[in-house]
Amino acid sequence: MSGRIRVKPLDWVPYIEPVDVTQAAPRQREAMQVTPSSIGVSPYVRTLAHDPESYLARTILFNAIMYAPGGLPRADRELGALGASLVNGCPYCAMVHARRLTDLTHSDDAVTALWHDRPDLLSQRSQAIWAFARSLSSTPSSATPAQILALRDAGLSEADIIDLIHAVAIFGWANRLMHPLGHAVPASGKR
Amino acid sequence: MMDAIDAAVGLVEDDPLFARRRARAEFVTGSEACRHAVLTPADDHGLGPALRLALACRIATLNADAALAASYRAILADTDADADTRALADGASALPSPLSTIARQADLVTTHNPSASQADIAALVQVGLSNPQIVALSELIAFVNYQCRVTAGLRLLKD
Repeated sequence: MSGRIRVKPLDWVPYIEPVDVTQAAPRQREAMQVTPSSIGVSPYVRTLAHDPESYLARTILFNAIMYAPGGLPRADRELGALGASLVNGCPYCAMVHARRLTDLTHSDDAVTALWHDRPDLLSQRSQAIWAFARSLSSTPSSATPAQILALRDAGLSEADIIDLIHAVAIFGWANRLMHPLGHAVPASGKR
Repeated sequence: MMDAIDAAVGLVEDDPLFARRRARAEFVTGSEACRHAVLTPADDHGLGPALRLALACRIATLNADAALAASYRAILADTDADADTRALADGASALPSPLSTIARQADLVTTHNPSASQADIAALVQVGLSNPQIVALSELIAFVNYQCRVTAGLRLLKD
């Protein structure tokens, strides 16, 4: 297949004015885990810090779902996140999680196949995850019992499938924050 | 203890899936903490509990999640929701401002998220929503969509 894909970094720019760290209320600072002198808190975090309660609760849940040890391998969670992000139309999230998938698998094979719309080139396991992630992301969900069977046939346990459901679902949330509240631009290069 | 997701999926305490959910205790407690943070927050930024429940009901309905929608509707019935807020829950689009714009954003982000744009956020600003209200509204809309995917997925594992 021609055209190996190298996913380029993007920055995210909010449509509303983010919280100014130097002016933030104590609850906002606590949620951002920064002191008033801190710089370098991302615009995304500073935007969501307008409602520190939901930001804090979601961050704890997000980290549990994407990073909890054991269960479904992290690369499979990232593949689910990528499938969700494409259906939900969040280019920034798709970029970040395509890069994580590439890093975790030490390979750009999957991202290259998906870029060329050739999910049939993925492993049986990845194809089953990909199809389920996309179907569960539609509104309403179009995921089927046959897709659950395909996941089981590919070696996923029920606990693994529960992990996958949550990984896809949490991107049904994250994609609905990041895309409506801002847009992706080519990375400026300064980090 | 049963939670909102168990209730919507139809799980009772002796279902094997009830116990398997608890193998990831942090997903269960985390989902509950998030539900409180978006539906009954300590600081609601002036977006009251009835409005939040009505939106949750509307979004669950768009996700064809009758059980979840019914659970939100039942809690809404115990509030002092006015006729417009009840109409919001029922999916009406002919609503007074700012409810009409809020409803439009909930529908758009739920069903056509890729089409959401800067103009849609500007419309919320235009009808008087503050930045904290815009973020709180966005988190609520997105949370219910999360919850609907968890329930849809878990129902496929039930039985």
